[in-house]
Amino acid sequence: MKKQQIPVVLCLLMMSHSLPSLASNEAYQKAMQLEIIQLYQAGSIDALQKSANAFTRIASMNPDEWLPHYYAAWAYVHMGFRSQGNLKEKDGFYAEAKKHTEKAGKISTNNSEIVALQGYIIMGELSADPATRGQQLSALAMQTFGKAISLDQENPRALLMMAQMEWGTAQFFGQGPEKACGLLQSSLALFEKESATVEKESLKPAWGKEYAEGLKAEICTN
Amino acid sequence: MVFAQTVVNGIVRNQKSELVPGVNVYLKGTYTGTTSASDGTFELLTIDQGLHTLVFQSIGYKTLEVSIRLSGEKIELFPLLREAINELTAVTITAGALEASDENKAVVLRPLDIVTVPSAMGDIIGAFQTLPGTATVGNDGRLFVRGGDASETAIFIDGLKVGNAFGTTASNVPARTRFNPNLFKGSFFSTGGYSAEFGHALSSALSLNSVDIPMRSQGDLSIMGIGGGYSQTLVGENNSITASANFVDLAPYQKLISQNFDWERAPQSWDAELLARQKIGNNTLLKAYLHTENGSMKIWQPRPGSDDRGTLLGVNNRYTFTQTSLKHTAVNDWSFYGGISYSDNIDDLSADQIQISNRNRLLHSKAVAVKGLSDRVSIKTGFEHFLFNYSEALAEEGFKREVADHQWALFSEADLYLSNSLIFRTGIRAGHSALAGQSWVDPRLSLAFKFKHEGQLSFAAGRYSQMPLEEFRIIEPELNNTEAVHYILNYFLSKNGRTLRAESFYKDYSHLINFEGQRFQYRNIRQRGHGYARGFDVFFRDQKTFKSTDYWITYSFVDSKRQFAGFQSMVQPGFAPRHNASVVIKHFIAPLKSQVGISYVINDGYNYTNPNLAGEMNARTRGFRDLSLGWSYLPKPNLIIHLACSNVLGRDNIFGHQFSPTPDESGRYASLPIRQTAPRFVFLGIFLTFSKDKTANQLNNL
Repeated sequence: MKKQQIPVVLCLLMMSHSLPSLASNEAYQKAMQLEIIQLYQAGSIDALQKSANAFTRIASMNPDEWLPHYYAAWAYVHMGFRSQGNLKEKDGFYAEAKKHTEKAGKISTNNSEIVALQGYIIMGELSADPATRGQQLSALAMQTFGKAISLDQENPRALLMMAQMEWGTAQFFGQGPEKACGLLQSSLALFEKESATVEKESLKPAWGKEYAEGLKAEICTN
Repeated sequence: MVFAQTVVNGIVRNQKSELVPGVNVYLKGTYTGTTSASDGTFELLTIDQGLHTLVFQSIGYKTLEVSIRLSGEKIELFPLLREAINELTAVTITAGALEASDENKAVVLRPLDIVTVPSAMGDIIGAFQTLPGTATVGNDGRLFVRGGDASETAIFIDGLKVGNAFGTTASNVPARTRFNPNLFKGSFFSTGGYSAEFGHALSSALSLNSVDIPMRSQGDLSIMGIGGGYSQTLVGENNSITASANFVDLAPYQKLISQNFDWERAPQSWDAELLARQKIGNNTLLKAYLHTENGSMKIWQPRPGSDDRGTLLGVNNRYTFTQTSLKHTAVNDWSFYGGISYSDNIDDLSADQIQISNRNRLLHSKAVAVKGLSDRVSIKTGFEHFLFNYSEALAEEGFKREVADHQWALFSEADLYLSNSLIFRTGIRAGHSALAGQSWVDPRLSLAFKFKHEGQLSFAAGRYSQMPLEEFRIIEPELNNTEAVHYILNYFLSKNGRTLRAESFYKDYSHLINFEGQRFQYRNIRQRGHGYARGFDVFFRDQKTFKSTDYWITYSFVDSKRQFAGFQSMVQPGFAPRHNASVVIKHFIAPLKSQVGISYVINDGYNYTNPNLAGEMNARTRGFRDLSLGWSYLPKPNLIIHLACSNVLGRDNIFGHQFSPTPDESGRYASLPIRQTAPRFVFLGIFLTFSKDKTANQLNNL
């Protein structure tokens, strides 16, 4: 919790009827902080499943919060990417991820982070079977990232994933990485800005910077 | 205060006694929870007291809730999770069905695959002719399914019936579908045994589903050897509109490339389309569609035994199709859909000095409610009304006649999942025709079982009714339904980019139309015709074995005999070749940014009656063969150049013979073969897309 909020909290504490909701808010913050740390460290499908379960539990306790669903979906997407199983298993994880982004999207409409994550799920489905899904889903993924960017031009994750798609398209047509690199550059600038302004304890999505740096090193010359 | 800590532990298994890992185990209404380990074990510590609900939640299983009393004493639980019906992986009924969609289940083709079949030349139906159960009838162009004639296939757009879905042509000039393939996101093509939702079709139902909200605003320009068009799409937050116009004129093309037919005026046409979509809230989608077109041609049809140019046939066709449909998802597992469609087809036909006009109109309204009673049972119930109106007029003689029929239909169908691997579907369709004064009830049944290896076996049976064509009912308004009973057994396996589908069928026809004379002059129309069609077909598709290559192979065997139309005896119809096979190969060459395609279609020939020999259907043409090549080149993401050529080898395919109505001096009936319009058809098109998104292209249009 932010420090400058403490006087407000004290003020609220005096009104006894608001006490339960406040207590639950504190429990929510703590539970989320703990689970977000564990999620970013999760290195296996089992660990991701644990995280997904935990966020699902938090979501059921906090029906008005979109973030627990967001992170549950994030966990399932990564289970899909990590899965060594068949198409059916991968699609099962992506379907679960979709359910959570849909729920998140109903709680928080026109949210750039949720839309970007929806695009990420489409990328997952595409990579599970590129031969048959490529044409249809690559267009859909780019359109979804485009929507995420238009909803919030400061969202570095939306730009990062758009860069990834642009790179794929450029490779297909034998073009250079300039467009993708431009997007990566803007994305990295936004990541810098984000880490400078957003508090450590914030529950907001803050992933992707390392991946952006890695992709840049891989495809861009400068 | 004393905190008593309670330990709850145990092992989660499923009904097959298998350990279930990854289960979300938690106390309802608290943050207390855990996840079962890889051996199914779980352990939960809590300081809560009293009566609580422990929840077990896992993908693929029904959520289980157990009441427990927390008192500090250790609790051991061994819950059994019940399998949930998984929409993604559960068995589906594949008997008779050939589905093309972007969804994941039991799909044979995707929409894009359909439109890039070289022999299809961009016509939806052309691509379906490479699928099992269909026969290529090159001088007609329409869909002929398993020994059925073209009128036995009903075509639906968003669930609503389309009247006159094919353009009107002169006889032996193949027809094309009127609708642009890129309007549709998917299709469901059934070669028999279809659901009670579809009526008025003896052999086959083709249901086309239009795109919902398109992905982006864009303009599409097409420049073709035979015409051109432009389409503009605007997409808003919750709505979209597409307007397009196209024209086709084969005259310049026919000047360049020699034709088998003697054209007075080459086919020409224009069409205009308007498509609007509106989302209302999160749960309702409203679609409206208008298509209008005009086409005409004039052709000299030679007369057997005569050296003059023959008869001058003229066709002028005006056509409008419009529909509005609505889909709504309500609470408590209710959903609703329905709409109204109107088709209006006007043909002005001329044969030398005779002028005939006919007009065929169809108004179809439909409302359907679907209720999910549980994840295992759902019931679909619908009501339909059809108004058929047909008139024909001989302009010269001031003669006109008309027929109209109101028909009602009520259908209900229940899906019952006994498990993820076994489904039953039973349905019933009741109908009434005011004109015929006939009421009928058609039962339908299907079931499917999925094996461990993911292959599935389905069976379907049902009775199908269809009123005779209006051109007969205008003379004999009291004609009753023609009927067919279908039995279908199907095996379907789709795994690792390969699909195998094998199906056998038996179809029993009754109450088919018999007549004497010819169109517009039918006499003595009766309904004593009957017949059967039986056979099997095999479809194999492979997208994995060869890199960047997708191919499919189809073989259909049809043994069909019927006593119908003007025939006195049981005959094999001219539109039902016994052996039909096709191969389609598509290969993407990345360095050339090109997709090349080959399709080869073959059959064992068409039956016809030679009046110089005894009997009916006593002769057969040599086999049909067509090798088509296609090449799509994508130099830039928003530009496609497409070149295709049918019948590359220039085989002179014969579809039958036309005989003079009277014998010559030597007592012989002179004949002329019915040939293709031209040895080859060459299609060249340039498709350019304008959009903010530079990667958008019209690949879907090819």
